Amino acid sequence: MEVVGEESIVAARQRAREMVRSLGFGMLDQSRIATAVSELTRNIVRYATDGRGEVVIRDISSDDRGIGIEIVVSDSGPGIEDISLAMRDGFTSGPGLGLGLPGTRRLVDEMEINSALGRGTVVTIRKWRR
Amino acid sequence: MGRLGVSRVPIVRVEDTLIATVLEDLSDRDALLLQEDLGRLIERTGAAGVLLDLTVVEIVDSFLGRLITDITAASRLLGAETIVVGIQPAVAVTLVELGLEFKGVRTALTPEKGRRLLRQSIAESRTGKYRRG
Amino acid sequence: MSGAHDRHQSMIDQQRMTITELQTPVIQVWKGILALPIVGSLDTARAQEMNEALLEKIVQTESDIVILDITGVPVVDTAVAKHLLETVSAARLLGAEVLIVGLSTRTALTLVQLGLDLSHVTTRTTMARGLELAFDRLGLEVVPKRAAAASEWAGSA
Repeated sequence: MEVVGEESIVAARQRAREMVRSLGFGMLDQSRIATAVSELTRNIVRYATDGRGEVVIRDISSDDRGIGIEIVVSDSGPGIEDISLAMRDGFTSGPGLGLGLPGTRRLVDEMEINSALGRGTVVTIRKWRR
Repeated sequence: MGRLGVSRVPIVRVEDTLIATVLEDLSDRDALLLQEDLGRLIERTGAAGVLLDLTVVEIVDSFLGRLITDITAASRLLGAETIVVGIQPAVAVTLVELGLEFKGVRTALTPEKGRRLLRQSIAESRTGKYRRG
Repeated sequence: MSGAHDRHQSMIDQQRMTITELQTPVIQVWKGILALPIVGSLDTARAQEMNEALLEKIVQTESDIVILDITGVPVVDTAVAKHLLETVSAARLLGAEVLIVGLSTRTALTLVQLGLDLSHVTTRTTMARGLELAFDRLGLEVVPKRAAAASEWAGSA
């Protein structure tokens, strides 16, 4: 789905939550994924060019890993200059500081960040049902 | 007693307490409007207590989480004690995992418990029961 | 063919749930007071299950106080301490106060040395002491029967 402005944050997290629920994840994981998507989508609205980007939610269930979900949040914004810095745990020190990535990382099983200055950012998160 | 405020969160006044009941997934903008509403209403009514009811809320992310901490702090400066009620287990776990501190934010399981706590708290602050040093 | 597999799978799920409930039993010891004895090591998976079970029980019973008994936890290191603190934090968000009992001297020293923020944690050395504190918090007192009988006697005299 496309991210266009602030209303997309609620839409994206609701969509993610529905998908996670329909896949059979419990309430805790529904909350975790919805919250993670909310954080990542807000980053697009705040920092990406024109606040535009894309959220793709995918069922990645397989026989060997079980039921899983993958969400790819991407934008063609300015990119993250220093990913390791963004992942440092200074997240709770104040509003508007940082991208909330360390916190988001704790909510999911896997997280990948692909970003380059001037070339946008792609954040991929995955979670499997235990 | 009807509905006060401009945000999508219904706020009602019961004696000297403002009760704000969040009924849906709030956008960032509506959350900020709620914060404004409460500030304005505390000033206008001189309310001594604020009950923020999250019983129906299933997603609380860092934005709303920080806003709740801000509302609590601002209300306190305006002379009102805030109690957040109805945080769902899944929300509680997520907030803890996100690392949100919720420092200084008082919580209660249900609106009833929250109101009882507020009554006690308001009564205590009125009779100057707290001691210094 | 798939029917048998599904039944088998659901039986496994059921057993897993039963085992989880047995491993992390949350006991209501009094109206408003829950006790959670933890026996054995506490890894992330177990801690999460424990949290979930505890929080659900707090909601169900509308309890105000949770007594976490760690007497049976052999090693309390940073990881375990963090899990315990997360349990405390989550329960507090539900309006419950958490008391940790069964702290050995060694564990106490470890926790202090780890430099974690323990300001929201109340501890007592034994379950009995924890219960006493819990009753006190709820404004309750345990009174010996003899005293009650004596006052009845005095009343009728």
